Amino acid sequence: MSTPTTSNAIESGPPHVHHMDAPTAYHAAKLGMWLFLATEVLLFGGLFTAFALYRYVYFAEFQAASVNLDWRMGALNTAFLIFSSFTAALAMDAAQHGDNAKVRRNILITLACGVVFLVVKYFEYKGKVAYGLFPYGVKGFENFLFVGALCLAIGASGVVIFTHNAKLKIPTILASIALVVAFYFLKGSIATISFDLANLFPFGHAHHPETKMVFNSPEFNTAYKSYFGLYYCMTGLHALHVILGMGILFWVYLKALNNRFSANYYTPVELGALYWHLVDLIWIYLFPLLYLVG
Amino acid sequence: MSHSETHAEGTNYLNCQKGIWSWMTTLDHKRIALMYLFTLTFFFFVGGLSALVVRTELFAAGAQFLTPKQYNNFFTIHGVVMVFLFIVPGIPAIMGNFLLPLMIGAKDVAFPRLNLLSYYIYIIGAVMALISLVPINTLPFISQGFSDWLVNTAGLGGPVDTGWTFYAPYSLAKSGTQSAVIWMTGAAFVLGFSSILTGLNFIVTVHKLRAPGMTWGRLPVFVWATYATAIIQTLATPVVGISLLLVIMERVFGVGIFDPTLGGDPILYSHLFWFYSHPVVYIMVLPAFGVIGEIIPVFSRKPIFGYKMVCGATFGIALIGFVVWAHHMFTSIGDTAAYVFSFLTFFVAVPTAVKVFNWVSTMYKGSISFNTPMLYAMSFVFLFMIAGTTGIYLATLAVDVFYHDTYFVVAHFHYTMQGGAVIGLIAALHFWFPKMTGKMYNETISKLTFVLVMIGFNLTFLPQFVLGMKGMPRRYFDYTGLEHFDLLQTLHATSTVGAYINALGYFLALINLLYFFWFGKTKAPANPFNSLSLEWQTQSPPIHENFAETPIVTDWTYGYGTKKDA
Amino acid sequence: MFRYLPEQASKHAADVDWIHNLITDLSVLFTVLIVGAMLYFAWKYRKRNGVDHETPQIEGSHTLEIIWTVVPTIICIIIAYYGIIYYHDIRKVDPNAMTINVTGQKWFWEFEYENGKKTTSEFVIPVDEPVRLLMQSKDVMHSFFIPSMRVKRDVIPGSYTYLTFTPIKTGKYQAYCTEYCGDSHYAMLANLKVVSRAEFDAWVEDKGKIITDPAKRGALVYKAKGCNTCHSLDGSRIIGPTFSKLFGSEREFADGTKAVADEVYLRNSIYNPNSQIVKTYSPGLMPVFEGQIKEEEMLDVIAYIKTLDGSQPVVEVEEEEVVVDPASMTPEQRGELLYKNNACIGCHSLDGSKVVGPSFQGLYGRQGEFEAGGTYTADEAYIKESILESNKNIVKGYAPAMPAYQFKDEEIADITAYIKSIK
Ligand code: HEA
Ligand code: HEA
Ligand code: CUA
Ligand SMILES: [Cu+2]
Repeated sequence: MSTPTTSNAIESGPPHVHHMDAPTAYHAAKLGMWLFLATEVLLFGGLFTAFALYRYVYFAEFQAASVNLDWRMGALNTAFLIFSSFTAALAMDAAQHGDNAKVRRNILITLACGVVFLVVKYFEYKGKVAYGLFPYGVKGFENFLFVGALCLAIGASGVVIFTHNAKLKIPTILASIALVVAFYFLKGSIATISFDLANLFPFGHAHHPETKMVFNSPEFNTAYKSYFGLYYCMTGLHALHVILGMGILFWVYLKALNNRFSANYYTPVELGALYWHLVDLIWIYLFPLLYLVG
Repeated sequence: MSHSETHAEGTNYLNCQKGIWSWMTTLDHKRIALMYLFTLTFFFFVGGLSALVVRTELFAAGAQFLTPKQYNNFFTIHGVVMVFLFIVPGIPAIMGNFLLPLMIGAKDVAFPRLNLLSYYIYIIGAVMALISLVPINTLPFISQGFSDWLVNTAGLGGPVDTGWTFYAPYSLAKSGTQSAVIWMTGAAFVLGFSSILTGLNFIVTVHKLRAPGMTWGRLPVFVWATYATAIIQTLATPVVGISLLLVIMERVFGVGIFDPTLGGDPILYSHLFWFYSHPVVYIMVLPAFGVIGEIIPVFSRKPIFGYKMVCGATFGIALIGFVVWAHHMFTSIGDTAAYVFSFLTFFVAVPTAVKVFNWVSTMYKGSISFNTPMLYAMSFVFLFMIAGTTGIYLATLAVDVFYHDTYFVVAHFHYTMQGGAVIGLIAALHFWFPKMTGKMYNETISKLTFVLVMIGFNLTFLPQFVLGMKGMPRRYFDYTGLEHFDLLQTLHATSTVGAYINALGYFLALINLLYFFWFGKTKAPANPFNSLSLEWQTQSPPIHENFAETPIVTDWTYGYGTKKDA
Repeated sequence: MFRYLPEQASKHAADVDWIHNLITDLSVLFTVLIVGAMLYFAWKYRKRNGVDHETPQIEGSHTLEIIWTVVPTIICIIIAYYGIIYYHDIRKVDPNAMTINVTGQKWFWEFEYENGKKTTSEFVIPVDEPVRLLMQSKDVMHSFFIPSMRVKRDVIPGSYTYLTFTPIKTGKYQAYCTEYCGDSHYAMLANLKVVSRAEFDAWVEDKGKIITDPAKRGALVYKAKGCNTCHSLDGSRIIGPTFSKLFGSEREFADGTKAVADEVYLRNSIYNPNSQIVKTYSPGLMPVFEGQIKEEEMLDVIAYIKTLDGSQPVVEVEEEEVVVDPASMTPEQRGELLYKNNACIGCHSLDGSKVVGPSFQGLYGRQGEFEAGGTYTADEAYIKESILESNKNIVKGYAPAMPAYQFKDEEIADITAYIKSIK
């Protein structure tokens, strides 16, 4: 294993020294990813336990609060994620057959699903915010969004710069900047725009006037705070993972653009898919826990 | 990127690429190890100097030169820096990075890019920690309004004065200096993330990159130790992430989690903190055990005694270490819980005992030479006996009720962390110095250093056991008029004197190693202590890709015995 | 070896120290064994004149491994066992233990007795009787620690915790705060006095002797409310400004405005400190004493601060002045004190049993006859006589053993009152 054999080995190994042959590199990468997924599971595991405990303690309030979530939104997102998980698998399969075009196609679909997921999530959050279930109100929410957009932009540009992708470098960076600028100037008006949308949408927030509560109102007690605190943290953290996953897949897409993948080198696709499956899996648990078990 | 395919005589990982940039962007585990070495040494001195400040304040009764608040800032800085920025990454990041691939005959760790990434993540974490320790809002050029914003919105009201344990609800105050705790928790998470990545990297490396013939049964003790440590790092750290999220939930959503005024439970915070921070103490010490397990055989010319037990014990400690965290909370948890955790805690002693006994037995019928590393290794055994057995006092419920949060605890954990982990690191640095630098250090100076450190260290912390026995509580700015006042005064004074001797010792060690690194004349041979493990089979310092061609391992690492029959 | 623990002042202290010392001896033993062996090997098998001698390839020994796994295990289990059962004793509350409510607050301790008596930074308990401290915190975590009693328990906001012990020695002991709680954590101390039952009763009932000098009263408040933890009398800066030369001085506040430290200023900055923070001092540190210091106390404190202008020596108040003052006791209590202090107890039981002399129980009003013949009724006169001229006439069945006492009349009266009270 002293000297590199295939160009794929070069691809997989670090450039400074080809210290692994392709198969080893592949297995190593896979083991590494599994370990990483393990820590992710531990992280969410903790949150699930916390939720279970609080639900046990504040059973009644949690039930009352959970009617504010619209299971239809959740179901919609679940569908999209499961489907995207499927396309991710397809991409992986295509990569094994060295069909880079098919890889690109499936990755794009997966990414699209990711975007839809986030959009739906956005309207859900929006609904809560409009309903006064967010401590910092509309303004605060907008700031969160802005920060989010900023991270997204930085992330995307980071990926293209890091992968030295000539074709997409300029466009992506411009797009990112555009996004940030847009968000910055729209800040005031996003609220109103999306409000109308939120009303156009048949759902977004299950309206239960009798259980109407406002985050900072006195009757909004610890139990409700706990519920929504956990709701925002768990779904928010998951959303972050979706974005991260999309970043990884985007990077894979760039590699596919240069037809990098072949029967004996498809590690990035597999890892990307693995990670995406985890994101999907976590949601599969979040959905019933938050939306269904009333 | 460019590396010499042909190894002209004298090319090695230090000189194969030039320029600071080649270091900043290196993917070479050996260079990354050195970068950690210098960064961590810096933080060791920061922590050490703050310790000297603490000791100087305590030299005599009454306020010397600090206000109580400043004193609290200093022991907080001291604790945080020493633990999170120095000794936890300590041996794994420095020695682990340098030795792991060499010892198993690999050319690098599994994910060199990830390795470099962990280093920079560590730097980010360190910066966040420092931010929370610096009184930014009091800088001269900062306006009142901006300063208020810094404190109340950005949570930059440092320096934190909560002690390294950040107990709630004291640490929850949203305004004032404690506001910086959010940054501290964030830092802990980022640092933890860096250590997750390192651990993950090591695990994969050991699994996938062992040279042909390097079976699990032939791995050096140090590799086993680092491997076990890596597992702890990977499993324990996510908890910090959870804690951080909970803190955010409390800060942002006002959910009562820790803060009793919101209906939260401060003890829950202690649980989360120790669930991570107890395993952390074994992250500090297990690699040190590994180092001792390497040094003793080499200088005794004997195989490590009870190889299987020594390695197995490492895992025993790692596993049991996960179920004893509440022994830090005996005076606040319920009685039944206290019984259970006290009982469990004792079983950490057993595997540790096994290790100690095996080290000593290794010397039996050996051919023992007393180079500096060996001296440190032997002193380690002595210091760790004190460290460990005092741990037994603290594990004993009835006794811990007396000792909890007294100087006895302070002495205990300095014996473990400094007498154990730090001495282990220093031993390692001397032992592998020739390999890392290609130079030899000066034995005489090193031995002098050794003596200074031993005298200084014991002079500092032995008196603190007695302080504890007299009931002197820790984190006390002043001890005027306490019971047994006169005795306390003498003991504190002694301890301070010791601290300065100790400091001098470390300082000398630093100068010694740095000097001979740069200006040393004597070139180190490939294997000055003729050890049998792989890292010594390549040139000193190693070439960029460690071995000219992959070594084929045919035998156990510890075949030191020269005559048959026992 | 290494027996440095403080004196054993509580019932369970001896047990704790026993297990503690057992661990010490075991640890010393093991350390000596292991380090001894190490040094012995190092010397015996040292490399001689620079050349390695042959070494055997010993790779281990099952027997040894088993021994040094099993032995420590057993030792550990034994230690753990005793640690746990003694801890159980430490936590066990005696059903008729006296309860004292303890409140921890940055940075002083308050104690409230069953009869409503309140003290700060000092509390008194009777010897040989179990007490239970029911503890709560007003702000952050604290921890109550009395070394000589071998007890410690965290004091947690939002819940009650308790401590219990039985003091076995009278004397003065120190209590500490051992959970870090901020700037004056180190000064959050309390004094414990263990006294006889009689002294204790006297003390709890005592509403404080009348001190005429307001400055002295102020000095007491200054101590009692723990002002001394933050405000020095000698001009040094602790947490807050010193009281020395404070009155009449000009104060400059964070916002640049100035004011003169007169009565109004002092009263205001004690009742709501944060309303006016002097430059270089930080707000929120001083507890709000609104409702904690009575108006008349306030006047005393101000009077006290006035005296600290450096022209006269600092008014000091002796502990004794604060505690027991016979004048404020009931006759029975004074009687009991005399009974205890003059060793009457040696001969006269309180439970009807005959020791040397007749029991005091039901003595008053008893009728009987003398050795020398003649009868008596135990009334004031009789009691007085038999104390002052004890051997004048001896009751039937007793020896003339009692010494004659020179008691003052009022003391006799007290003793009589006491005897009357023993039915
Ligand atoms: C490297 C770090 C390190 C290590 C290795 C240890 C090792 C141990 N520690 Fe320590 N500990 C700390 C770091 C460490 N500790 C720190 C930092 C704190 C304080 C944190 C804070 O509050 O700020 C602390 C505090 C601490 C407490 C809480 C005290 C209190 O606050 O009230 C306890 C209680 O059980 C404890 C127990 C132990 C035990 C049983 C071991 C065991 O692992 C020791 C086992 C080893 C031996 C026993 C020696 C070898 C044994 C033999 C040769 C056999 C013969 C001996 C017997 C049979 C007894 N430690
Ligand atoms: C690895 C961990 C580690 C290490 C190595 C040390 C090292 C030292 N510690 Fe540390 N200490 C802790 C971890 C550590 N400590 C922790 C976790 C706490 C608890 C904090 C809390 O309560 O929250 C603590 C608390 C603590 C206290 C208790 C404070 C209190 O409770 O009030 C004291 C007091 O003596 C102390 C002293 C020292 C001293 C004198 C050293 C010395 O050994 C340091 C020696 C090293 C140097 C001095 C640096 C190198 C040499 C120089 C700098 C020479 C001078 C330089 C020039 C001339 C240029 N420490
Ligand atoms: Cu109260 Cu420390
Ligand atoms: Cu511990």
